[in-house]
Amino acid sequence: MSVVGRARRHLTLGALVLALAAMTAWSADGVGFAPGELLANLGKLRRIVGDSFPPDWGFWHRLLSPFLETLQIAVVGSVLGGLLALPLAILAARGVSPSPTISWIHRQAMNLLRTMPDLFWAMLFASAVGFGAFAGALALTVFTVAVVSKLLSESAESIDFGLTEAVRAGGGGWSSTVRFAVVPQILPQYVSYVLYAFEINVRASTVLGLVGAGGIGMVLNTQRTTFQYQRVTLIVLAIFLVVVVLEQISEAARRRLV
Amino acid sequence: MSTAERDPADPAIRFDHASVVYPSGVKGLDGVDLSIERGQLVVVVGLSGAGKSTLLRSINGLVQLTGGDVLVEGRSVRRSRGAALRALRARVGMIFQDHRLVKRLSVLTNVLLGRVARVPVWRQVLGLWPRADVDIALQALERVGLRDRAGVRASQLSGGQQQRVGIARALAQEPGVVLADEPVASLDPMTSHRVMQDLQRINRDLSITTLVNLHFLDLAKRYAQRIVGLRQGAVVYDGPADEVGEADFAQIYGRSMTAEDVLEGFGAR
Repeated sequence: MSVVGRARRHLTLGALVLALAAMTAWSADGVGFAPGELLANLGKLRRIVGDSFPPDWGFWHRLLSPFLETLQIAVVGSVLGGLLALPLAILAARGVSPSPTISWIHRQAMNLLRTMPDLFWAMLFASAVGFGAFAGALALTVFTVAVVSKLLSESAESIDFGLTEAVRAGGGGWSSTVRFAVVPQILPQYVSYVLYAFEINVRASTVLGLVGAGGIGMVLNTQRTTFQYQRVTLIVLAIFLVVVVLEQISEAARRRLV
Repeated sequence: MSTAERDPADPAIRFDHASVVYPSGVKGLDGVDLSIERGQLVVVVGLSGAGKSTLLRSINGLVQLTGGDVLVEGRSVRRSRGAALRALRARVGMIFQDHRLVKRLSVLTNVLLGRVARVPVWRQVLGLWPRADVDIALQALERVGLRDRAGVRASQLSGGQQQRVGIARALAQEPGVVLADEPVASLDPMTSHRVMQDLQRINRDLSITTLVNLHFLDLAKRYAQRIVGLRQGAVVYDGPADEVGEADFAQIYGRSMTAEDVLEGFGAR
């Protein structure tokens, strides 16, 4: 590269770094970022940490059934959401969908689902069916549809279309094409995406519990608001353990698939 | 789709001033007039880009005509839509250069794909193929000598075997016409002969009209009854295979023959 070219590249890079720094400073000011505040309250933080140890091991037997509920929420959300995501993804995928218009409509539906955060769905369903595990499961169903359909429709758009042509050449209609040329090609990814959604759902269902959607998150919130920090520590440790173990299992399964 | 509607006097395929202009402006077919009698084995030769593939694909409507028409057993491809087009395609089996098997599915299921136009969709979706259709598929596999491989995944087969499964899939359609688009282009010489022999045997035994696109001139001369030469989307040669000579090939190709134009040239490499 010429000397002039290199100098110009350095200049561009410098400008970018400056712009990034200015933007960060501006944003930090906007959120009222004050390191002094944090330092001044270090004592309070230290007290909370002190109160949190040792964990209240005796509390473990009260965690079992909420944990089970959290897992049930995640399982129901993943399975239902996974089932609904397949037709949506296929109808949305360009080149697979029966028509460009149908594809467009379903892509917009997918966008809408994805723009809303899972907490929003949890609140919405909670006000519809009442606070509890059912609302959580419904929220995660929608969340799973959003995640899986997006990833899956991208997979469906990049299949080998030679196979769909072969089925059509034999006189097959759209359904036959999807059944024998599209689904077999995206099946490994499909299972993998649903497992991935399940991993996220285990964590998400904990968070949903904080807003009253049942499970371990609800217990966590109760203990925190009543200042039972030693119990909070136990719950956090338990969540950590469960999430890590489930992720390992799910990851191992996914590796074997793709 | 009753057989009574078909007039046996109609040629298997008739090109009637058939033209294809691609959206890019490239002419795929340029006013082709051609009549293929029932039961003939015709080999289409020409350089790549001469329109061989377009010619074959216009017969089952995979490529849409922009002018003229193609009649398959008397029925217009251009005017066929929806169910009528699917019925027409069911009469025309197609074999592809790259086999186009669904690798994750069994050999038998791949051959059963030749029955998609005849079996209700709900049965296909549930995998509940009628016994009669499974028998037709197994017979088709028998014809290409792969019946004992019916249960294995398609991905487990060699390239030549996969191509023969592709032939079986086309046969399972019980077609009147078979189109083979460069069926041996990715195979070694010995397997190429095996595949061409299968096509020839099927053409003779079942009197299925067969159109094969080939690049190799020696294969064309050996297996065809009739050779059609294409150049820039137009028919520039049409005659019996035993009469075609080097001068004719030079005319079709627009240059003299080279080692790359014969199969054994590849084999010696």
